Amino acid sequence: MKPVGEHTRRSILVVSRHAHPGSSLPRSALDTALAAAAFDQPVTLLFQGEGLLQLLPAQDSRAAGVRNLRKVIDSLPLYDIETVYVDAIAAAAFGIARDSLPASARWLDTAGVRQLLASHDHVLGF
Amino acid sequence: MLADSAFDPEGFLRDLRDWTPDVAAQIAAEENIQLTPAHWEIVDLLREYYLQFDSSPAMRPLVKWVAQRLGPDKGKSIYLLSLFPGSPAKLGSKIAGLPKPDNCL
Amino acid sequence: MLLHTLSRSPAHAALRDCLAVLAPGDALLLLGDGVYAALAGSEAAALLAASGADLFVLDADAALAGVRDCLMPQATLVDDDGFVALSERYSRQLAWY
Repeated sequence: MKPVGEHTRRSILVVSRHAHPGSSLPRSALDTALAAAAFDQPVTLLFQGEGLLQLLPAQDSRAAGVRNLRKVIDSLPLYDIETVYVDAIAAAAFGIARDSLPASARWLDTAGVRQLLASHDHVLGF
Repeated sequence: MLADSAFDPEGFLRDLRDWTPDVAAQIAAEENIQLTPAHWEIVDLLREYYLQFDSSPAMRPLVKWVAQRLGPDKGKSIYLLSLFPGSPAKLGSKIAGLPKPDNCL
Repeated sequence: MLLHTLSRSPAHAALRDCLAVLAPGDALLLLGDGVYAALAGSEAAALLAASGADLFVLDADAALAGVRDCLMPQATLVDDDGFVALSERYSRQLAWY
């Protein structure tokens, strides 16, 4: 395989801000991130607003015939997506405790979120 | 032997609860693969992956997952290709009774 | 610096989420139902004005919604060419919907 040139690797930030399973957008956001990672593009995920509810660990989605998105999110390190970012202000608003989120989650305040948005070549909102 | 109606047009099992080791052998035979202990090791890992992550792996995470669990010698594309020619993630998932990987490249 | 686009009405969480990250120097283009956020005197308009971002409203959508003549003074109407020009000016674009 030939080395991938600098110009062909663009950093992508996927912003996921809808709740699962009421919306299919969270699934699309994850599929986009996984596909980009499979193409060897550097991908970062940010869960903002109600999107962070996708990270709750005890989803039992079997009966509903939809994926347990937290389980899929837990596979991200195998796609070399090592960190997911979480909007700390939304987490506080929803009463989500840190220990219920993946160990790889990193918490960002507003300045941190802005910094993340500014530091990627492409930003995709879902 | 499961009837044809248990499989989708691409040969993936429609309901993974129908899966048994015999079904795996049946699917493998369709693909001209005779399952050996080396194959079973990967098939079992694929089923474990599905339970843990609620998805079938693409090639890259499969290689990494196998490397983590069975060591670097087996966690290599070339080794997996020798067992499941063409597309190990797709073929392995099929034999393991899992849905087709979403991001199978 | 980003170009944000907002296409949901101000009652939707999209506005709140967008406001949480909207920074001075960013641009926000309101389109679709998003144009209602620029209604003069509204809560949303006050929040948008305080954000320090440059505010734009898609002319055709504002006309369609019937709000073209009652928009906050800080908002600038743009046509499709103006939208394209904004997209060219900002390398990153984020859609809120």
